Amino acid sequence: MILTAQKNIQTIKDLGLSPIKVSLSSTKELYALSGSSLEAHKFCLIKEAFTKHYDANKYYRGVCEEANVAPESIQSFKDLCKIPLIPVSEFKGNDSYKLLSVGLDKIELEVRSTGTSGIPSVSRRCSDTVDNVALGITSMYREFFGISKGACLFLCPPPEEIPEMGLIRLTNLLSGMLDTHQFMVNKGTFSAEESLEKLNQWEGKFDRHIMAPPFLIMRFIAFLKESDTSIKLDKNSYIITVGGWKRYTGEMMSRTDFDNACMKYLGVERHQIRDTYGLTESNIFSIDDEHGEKHVAPIGHFSVRNPKQLSEEVPDGEPGRLAILDPAAESTPGFVLTEDIVRILPGESKSGRSGQRIEYIERWADSTEFGCCAVNIDRHLCEAEAQNSAS
Amino acid sequence: MYNNTIMTHFTDPTFVGNIDSPEVEIIVGNSVCGDRIEVQLIVQGTVISDVSFRAWGCATSVATGDIFCNSVKGEKFEEIALRDRDYFSKMLGELEPSQRHCIDIMEELHTKLCRETRKLL
Repeated sequence: MILTAQKNIQTIKDLGLSPIKVSLSSTKELYALSGSSLEAHKFCLIKEAFTKHYDANKYYRGVCEEANVAPESIQSFKDLCKIPLIPVSEFKGNDSYKLLSVGLDKIELEVRSTGTSGIPSVSRRCSDTVDNVALGITSMYREFFGISKGACLFLCPPPEEIPEMGLIRLTNLLSGMLDTHQFMVNKGTFSAEESLEKLNQWEGKFDRHIMAPPFLIMRFIAFLKESDTSIKLDKNSYIITVGGWKRYTGEMMSRTDFDNACMKYLGVERHQIRDTYGLTESNIFSIDDEHGEKHVAPIGHFSVRNPKQLSEEVPDGEPGRLAILDPAAESTPGFVLTEDIVRILPGESKSGRSGQRIEYIERWADSTEFGCCAVNIDRHLCEAEAQNSAS
Repeated sequence: MYNNTIMTHFTDPTFVGNIDSPEVEIIVGNSVCGDRIEVQLIVQGTVISDVSFRAWGCATSVATGDIFCNSVKGEKFEEIALRDRDYFSKMLGELEPSQRHCIDIMEELHTKLCRETRKLL
């Protein structure tokens, strides 16, 4: 199977094309492959990416040599878990330039995410990596939402206010497919009244979508509840959640309560509520399907590790610490050890798509911080409200 | 995206680290985007005799910390106090619009340096 995948990739290269870019543009086709064919294809892409970073990145090569791992060590899909990982905390370091596999002069975009510590994790992307992330995320949106028109209410600040934030970049890629959109957090304040007004203005004109961190959708719902109002979004509407389920206070929000509140106050069915999972440090994005199963982008591999012995993978279905193997990362090695505990859903997917599906469980207990841009937005909104109430 | 000054100071900084018993510590940051620079200094008379920094954020803001340290070490504080925004801008070289917030960071570093060192005099 691996030999066939290698030949296919060579054919793509012989045509002068990029195997990664062709793969990122073929999300639907990759999900339609058999499980073993998809694994073989991913294996080839990941091994090639590993070889590239091993050859180009002095720091990473040192890490590999210390671990006694070289491209020749990676011969089968099982060997992928030997690939040395970069903890996400290294993206926060003063010396994060050492992670670059390309010259700093090749970097086109810096994207950041800031959790509860306030220290930003900065991911630097070269031109090819920006191509890859744009192709990959857009292709995942098309696969899971099929959106090409409509209106979206983004319950978050506009890119103009925080242009480098990873979460906001996700809104940009979605808004380009729509007829219209509006950002509802402006200069540190969220107006639920204006959000309702906007949705009402769009009624009958567009399919209305909402994309936001869960806590902001719950704020909007709290307003609807207090004003004894409910709305009925459209049959093609989506409620798309980004940024995680933990409040800045540490409180974990219940997905079940969230879904029930959306169904009651926003008039959607459960299959219209879609959560996403992604990290600033990676280009691999995961989205819930119509059955609530979160699919990993088909070119990436989620390797779930035993938290007490990180070189070991846990069996599918068992919780463990997530390592992401991302062949779309060209500027820094895309082999990232996250601080998230997830499990791979065992068996076949309900939707018939091939590849991995995950369930996010919680933040790793020893993590020094949690959250991303969404947690910061949450904290700033709460602090601003507290100040307003005090004055 | 980055000019040569920023590239050099980001990838090969001279002043990263900590001073054991700093006389002055200044912190500059933006709580929304997370850029943060912490500078430690030792002052002898009116001269900045030693300086170090730690920084988190975009490459330009990290480089800003190193450029600042490089520009104040061995200098008299009253001369540093004469610098203006035009001077700060030239210190960083040509910046893209998305990097120009680092001129504000440089200005704030100078303002805080002058305020804190004055207390020692």
